[in-house]
Amino acid sequence: MPKQPINLTVNGHPYEVAVEPHWTLLETVREQLALTGSKEGCGTGDCGACSMIVDGRLITSCLMLAPEADGAEVTTIEGLARNGDLHPVQQAFIEAGGVQCGFCTPGMIMAAKALLDRNPRPTLDEVREGLAGNLCRCTGYTKIYEAVMSAAQRTG
Amino acid sequence: MAQETIVREEYRAVGKPVPRIEGIGKVTGKTVYADDMTLPRMLHAKVLGSPYAHARIKSIDTTAARRHPGVEAVLTSRDLPPFKKNESNRRTVIFVEGEALFYGQPVAAVLAADPHVAEAALALIKVEWEELTPVVDPLEAMKEDSALVRAPISNVDRSEERGHVTVDVQQKEAEGKPTNIASQMSFKRGDVEAAFAEADCVVERTWRSAMVHQSYIEPHATIADYDATGELSVWTSTQAPFYIRDELAQTLDIPESRIRVTATEVGGGFGGKIYLTELMVAALAMAVRRPVKYIMSRKEDMLAATPAPLTIVDLKTGMKRDGTLVALKARLVYDSGAFPGAPMLPGCLLVGGYYKCPNLEIKGYEVLTNKVSVGALRAPGAHNATFAIESNMDMMAAELGLDPLEVRLKNAVASGDPLPSGQPYPNIGLRECLQAISDSPIWKERRRSKERPNVGVGLAIGGWMGGLQPASAIVCLNSDGTINVTVGSADITGTNTSFAQIAAEVLNVPLSMIGVTTGDTKTAPYAGMSAGSKTTYTVGRAVKAAAEDAKAQMLEVASQRLEAAPEELELVDGEVRVVGAPDKSLTFQRLGRLSTNFAAPYAAIVGRGAIAARRWAPGFTAQVAEVAVDPDTGEVTLLRYAIAQDAGFAINPLSVAGQMQGGASQGIGIALSEEMQYDDNGRLLNANLLDYRLPTTRDLPPIEAIIVEVPSEEGPYGARIVGEPSIVAGAATVASAVADAVGARLTEVPITPERVLRALGKL
Repeated sequence: MPKQPINLTVNGHPYEVAVEPHWTLLETVREQLALTGSKEGCGTGDCGACSMIVDGRLITSCLMLAPEADGAEVTTIEGLARNGDLHPVQQAFIEAGGVQCGFCTPGMIMAAKALLDRNPRPTLDEVREGLAGNLCRCTGYTKIYEAVMSAAQRTG
Repeated sequence: MAQETIVREEYRAVGKPVPRIEGIGKVTGKTVYADDMTLPRMLHAKVLGSPYAHARIKSIDTTAARRHPGVEAVLTSRDLPPFKKNESNRRTVIFVEGEALFYGQPVAAVLAADPHVAEAALALIKVEWEELTPVVDPLEAMKEDSALVRAPISNVDRSEERGHVTVDVQQKEAEGKPTNIASQMSFKRGDVEAAFAEADCVVERTWRSAMVHQSYIEPHATIADYDATGELSVWTSTQAPFYIRDELAQTLDIPESRIRVTATEVGGGFGGKIYLTELMVAALAMAVRRPVKYIMSRKEDMLAATPAPLTIVDLKTGMKRDGTLVALKARLVYDSGAFPGAPMLPGCLLVGGYYKCPNLEIKGYEVLTNKVSVGALRAPGAHNATFAIESNMDMMAAELGLDPLEVRLKNAVASGDPLPSGQPYPNIGLRECLQAISDSPIWKERRRSKERPNVGVGLAIGGWMGGLQPASAIVCLNSDGTINVTVGSADITGTNTSFAQIAAEVLNVPLSMIGVTTGDTKTAPYAGMSAGSKTTYTVGRAVKAAAEDAKAQMLEVASQRLEAAPEELELVDGEVRVVGAPDKSLTFQRLGRLSTNFAAPYAAIVGRGAIAARRWAPGFTAQVAEVAVDPDTGEVTLLRYAIAQDAGFAINPLSVAGQMQGGASQGIGIALSEEMQYDDNGRLLNANLLDYRLPTTRDLPPIEAIIVEVPSEEGPYGARIVGEPSIVAGAATVASAVADAVGARLTEVPITPERVLRALGKL
């Protein structure tokens, strides 16, 4: 299948990538840009492990075709830490025990960041609502709630 | 939210909450999982699954698929290198040969450098099938006139089950006339019928629990390479690298010294990532002499991994007016799917293993059906049996007007009481868990909860025996004075963090001086599979012994350098000091150099720890739920939940609480939403994470974790098994709360809105 060039900015770096039209944003970022932090848990948009922020919106990148991201500004889990300093959400996930197997973690952290970007001081109910698109099988979510509430206090 | 923080003064490192040492890699996306790896010349495998639950292959034509541009190879059972097949072990039936036994069973694989090409070529494989009668319902399958699921099998391989629960009981394999009952077992004590005649209250019910899936978020993922020297390397998301090595060696007839299995970071296992696709991928790599990667799609993982069985338990129990349990009669039917391996044994032990009962009769049946064969899910087989006995206990207490918690305390087993097999319990903390949960606000406020319409509170207990396997570890002093710990156990629950704490405790150094590595099967000392809740309990002991050995070696060197007897020396913050003369000291760094540098005078410091685990350390839990039931829609909302669990000694309370909350959430999923639904033809209807409903954040309130500590006899610092007991009580706990809320006792989990409405007589 003929490839088509797309331009996108990922974590602040501009890229031109030749993609096949059926490639997803997830596989393009993982395979072509070698940013493997975003995970595929289902491929059908149900688990949220592939969550990225595209033009300010939280998306499941396994459901977005790469050509749809042409011209977009994409943030992945690799783009959160600055100069070696962890984002407060990342730090809070480690300290609160919100990380176990780690496979849902990148998507969960992106969802938490997106939530705090639009609602810096969420209530517990708002955290539960904001993370409802991201499945975690290890933690039972309790320590993830604690991590997000704690991160909100640090940033807010 | 959770109240698990325990502060200890007597220890420096153990017993304190420590964030995971590998956490930074996971929060930054840097941790490498199997699917993140690529090898030079690597091919991707895509697998064709059987479209029928029971059918015979009349012919396979792979010509068109082989000619598809970009396809490197198409392999069926005829194209694989020689291997020893055991018809009882699904892993060794790589591709269907003759008869497909379940929907989705692998038939053939396509290999290509581009996974999309391989996927597209699957549709070009032409298989001519002859459909056979699928046997889907286990109770129908047990009938004498049932069609057979498959041709009779002998020489049943049960090695994997023993990794999860290590007890000295054998089950009786099928013999005589061909049947779908793969094995049976029974336990008997006293005179059960006479006891029922004298009981003041008898409850008899049938309890059903659905087939459920472990649903780790990372699907199965394996890469294999067979190099020019004849060495096989496998990178795989597994809990059991040494077990896989042993199985591959036997099946492929390769010496264990020529196989390297690397457990990559496991994106969730819960018993489902022991050994599944590794032989297939290894065989494919051997066939084409190139590295091969196989990542299961979510659909394939739902269809063809190793979920947990549908179970039907008939249970009759009898109690005296004062709450004394006197009789228990149970029949447990475990639906094993198309291969033996259902966890019937632990279910049979636990259904009669929580309470003292002088008269019991327990029968277990492992039944084959044309469904995917089952495996372990966190305390395999336990939640099914527990749903039954705990529901019966609740119903008897209610009928006799007794407090359900007091009835459980009255009958709870303690040290020395026998399991149905006769084996006595060691020191256990069941009563302490019940006492701890009785202090939880949810239980204390249960009468206030009842004042709200359709709100109720319920409790249940659960337990798990745990597995036992030898373990070993190595602790080395580096030349800069830091410490390396090497183990062979896959870290699936934060065990490496606990090992760092143990080594730091023994050597009295800050945690930052300790590095922990899980080696592969060629470089690491032996460890059993990370299953059966035994990793910290067994490997932790080995780490402690290895650190003590390293310490003795360091003291020996220091004794010569400082001219003081080893007994006069102490380890403090990375120095060896003469007690009472802190200026006479030797730093770990100096010790490291004295034992590693060119022409250094001392041998390298290498501590060795190896243990045999003989004593079991069962873990118990008590859990309480508050629910609200919508009487019009049948929807159950979980309002509050708490779990008390005996950890023996919580080496890392942060990890222990995380295990408790995570396991409890899986129990809640079993209780309320999770069910693999098969149609009459044996096809799975909900092979995705939308229709197979895991609990989401909207379903789960914060879970309160109450750590109970009744020390084990043999575990490091008194630690006992932790990982599994938490899942066991959820189904019974939630069902009990629903009964309290609306007066209807649900006999089947998951408790879906439809089942609630049926129980309320509204459907």
